[in-house]
Amino acid sequence: MITIDGSFGEGGGQILRTALGLSLVTGKPFRIEKIRAGRKKPGLLRQHLTAVNAAAEVGRAGVRGAALGSGELVFEPGQVAGGRYRWAIGTAGSATLVLQTVLPALLTAREPSSLKLEGGTHNPFAPPFDFLQKAFLPLVCRMGPKVEATLVRPGFYPAGGGCFKVEVAPAERLSRIDIPERGEVRRRLARALVANLPLHIATRELTVIGRKLNWPDECLRAEPVEGSQGPGNIVVIEIEGEGVTEVVTGFGEKGVPAESVADAAVREAREYIAAGAPVGAHLADQLLVPMALAGGGSFRTAAPTRHTTTNAKIIGRFLDVAVRIEREDSATWKVAISS
Amino acid sequence: MTAKKTVLIGLLGPTLDEGAGHRRWEKWRPSVSLCQHEDLIVDRYELLYQKRWTRLCETLARDVRDVSPETEVRCTEVELQDPWDFEEVYGALHDFAHAYPFDPDEEDYLVHITTGTHVAQICLFLLTESRAFPARLVQSSPPKRSIIESPGEYRIIDLDLSKYDRIATRFRKEQADEVSLLKSGIETRNAAFNRMIEQIERVAIHSEAPVLLMGPTGAGKSQLARRIYELKRARRQFEGAFVEVNCATLRGDAAMSALFGHRKGAFTGALQDRAGLLRAADGGMLFLDEVGELGLDEQAMLLRALEEKRFLPMGADEEAGSDFQLICGTNRDLSADVAAGRFREDLLTRINLWTFRLPGLRERAEDIEPNLQYELDGYARTSGAHVTFNKEARDRYLAFATSPQARWAANFRDLDASITRMATLAPGGRINIEIVEEELARLLESWRDPESPASGAAGAAGAAGAAGVDAAGDGEGELGALLGAERLGGLDLFDRMQLAGVVRVCRRSRSLSDAGRALFATSRLRRSRTNDADRLRKYLARFGLDWKRIAD
Repeated sequence: MITIDGSFGEGGGQILRTALGLSLVTGKPFRIEKIRAGRKKPGLLRQHLTAVNAAAEVGRAGVRGAALGSGELVFEPGQVAGGRYRWAIGTAGSATLVLQTVLPALLTAREPSSLKLEGGTHNPFAPPFDFLQKAFLPLVCRMGPKVEATLVRPGFYPAGGGCFKVEVAPAERLSRIDIPERGEVRRRLARALVANLPLHIATRELTVIGRKLNWPDECLRAEPVEGSQGPGNIVVIEIEGEGVTEVVTGFGEKGVPAESVADAAVREAREYIAAGAPVGAHLADQLLVPMALAGGGSFRTAAPTRHTTTNAKIIGRFLDVAVRIEREDSATWKVAISS
Repeated sequence: MTAKKTVLIGLLGPTLDEGAGHRRWEKWRPSVSLCQHEDLIVDRYELLYQKRWTRLCETLARDVRDVSPETEVRCTEVELQDPWDFEEVYGALHDFAHAYPFDPDEEDYLVHITTGTHVAQICLFLLTESRAFPARLVQSSPPKRSIIESPGEYRIIDLDLSKYDRIATRFRKEQADEVSLLKSGIETRNAAFNRMIEQIERVAIHSEAPVLLMGPTGAGKSQLARRIYELKRARRQFEGAFVEVNCATLRGDAAMSALFGHRKGAFTGALQDRAGLLRAADGGMLFLDEVGELGLDEQAMLLRALEEKRFLPMGADEEAGSDFQLICGTNRDLSADVAAGRFREDLLTRINLWTFRLPGLRERAEDIEPNLQYELDGYARTSGAHVTFNKEARDRYLAFATSPQARWAANFRDLDASITRMATLAPGGRINIEIVEEELARLLESWRDPESPASGAAGAAGAAGAAGVDAAGDGEGELGALLGAERLGGLDLFDRMQLAGVVRVCRRSRSLSDAGRALFATSRLRRSRTNDADRLRKYLARFGLDWKRIAD
């Protein structure tokens, strides 16, 4: 059985989620030890347990050690089945992370899937829904399957209560894609969303973004959001190139001025534009697993994060593929996966 | 492995949990926040609320379901006119606890004590401490900065678990001190005796009911009674005196008068008013040793004094009152006295609610050594002379003292006298082997009583009898009939004694399981699974016996 040290590299929930996803696809059981060993609250937390349970449901898996605080887990998957699933995530925990866990298996399942995920949709420490919808899923679609995500209502921390749906039309197998260049920027859009908060927060944020990025008014959109349980504010900056779309997100916080929220997002967007690499750090994390499952693929990115290198190591435990991460120049790296 | 479910029981806090509109998510609401922790999953939430807060309760329930889809929320209305009224709140919560279908094998319970009035919090604490709620307490506190960053902190407090906190340690230390006081500071090693003392400590603290101390003469009944009194006095449960009397010394008019007092002229020689021992023990403790020697008239009067806390002194027109705790001592079988009409049954019922049987010294051979030092210290205190054993003498004395030869007919009285004699005779405050040898001869001589012939074998049988197993007596005959003489002859005395006792318990019991429960009554408490019947069956099988053979 594959045994994974849960404390190496990034050392958090990412290792677990990647391992669960790969185990489902390959049918290989695994044991993970020292789960989140170095963290303040070590072992499995609620959100990890939700991911384990969702994976077990999708893969008809046998699970041992799935308890709060557990430092060790054994996961033995059965046959993956697509279908209708609904998962609710507590503590306004990120529903997108649960999707990230089960999606690889559903992309090549025999049946199509219809998923409903409830909980947090816009969390500071997880891919926000807009990133998933605009940046990640279009690339997945280029690999063969058809995946469509719709936001029913946003869920912000701490109230949660968000919901989105995902329809997956699987492909027999994933095909390779390569993302060498961003290509020409075709579309730029900055959105400022406010839920149950005054609209002027959004307009102040957009003023900063427009001025600092030197974007015209038609690229700026203030959106009051209906249907959210609690208050929430985010800014979403979308940069759509020919080959790839990047989404940068800034999170509004009580006590932090709207201008500062916008500033942080602008800084990240500028870095992305300046680096010239088509794939940003967050997208790089997400792309590794589907590319490895496709048996090959490549992209250029900025300096890889610990998440990315950790993911690459886990992939090597489940799949017979090589992940090469090479520095090209001072700001760009090339990631290439080959079988 | 399926984990137990976590069930949270909490009161809606109209102040802390208050909040309407979207702003409510910007404040810390304990009842909601407790369901937002990443390392705690509440499977079911029993939220108690007052009718006037129904709307708020609905909001809270909805919010909890949102942030914690794992949680089933059940709202229960608790009617309280005045949430600051101690009696009412306690009653309402007690009723809830009483009616609640607790299932501790399947569910873990947490009682949230952060919300509600202080009165409610105190009541929840008391009800959890008394196990009306078989739960642990959970206390939550707000986040240091903002609710957006964290749902705050929570702490689980297990009032049962000694691992929690210094409070428990302090209680334990206090209790250990009290147990030690009851044992006069002697580090006794006999497990059964130590367990009994711990029970007595608990009874002494929590009960004002009479206590009956049984045991052979010199087993230390009187001393223990005095220690119980000292313990309660130290805890300020007594202000009155400790009054002790041996009922065997009370006869006739003098008995009545000594106990209950008299008026001047009540009888010939009653020259002055006398308050009597019961009055003297008012607010304190009365120890009636050899209570079986009390006359029937005195027994009737004592019963009334116990029940009514009132009695009529001799020659008086008016009753006198006295409120005291009674401890009785006896070395007689009082139920036999009841059967023979010598002792009132209603009085016995009254005084033997708590009965403790003090073992004789021979049953506590391992306690002789710690008592030796205690006796020497006692001698030093009364005589001012510090006396010690040399090693050889000490070893010799202990070897004898714990051997079957040592009958210790008068138990601690014998030991006390023996030590006093040796200490007195010791040259230069040092007990040597010669002194010990002389003393051992003296002890053997004193125990060679024509009425109970003491030889080595009878000594052993006596020891068996003291342990509740009369192996050399009837037991031997019983075993012979069961096993046959030949098989019986092949067994050690050790096995014969044990088996005879087991057979006797079996014959008193209705079934194998019943007997098993009685025989393993102590160890079964420490086992998660008990199969006493099986243990007993296996034991009997070693001797080729089964339940049917014995029961026949």
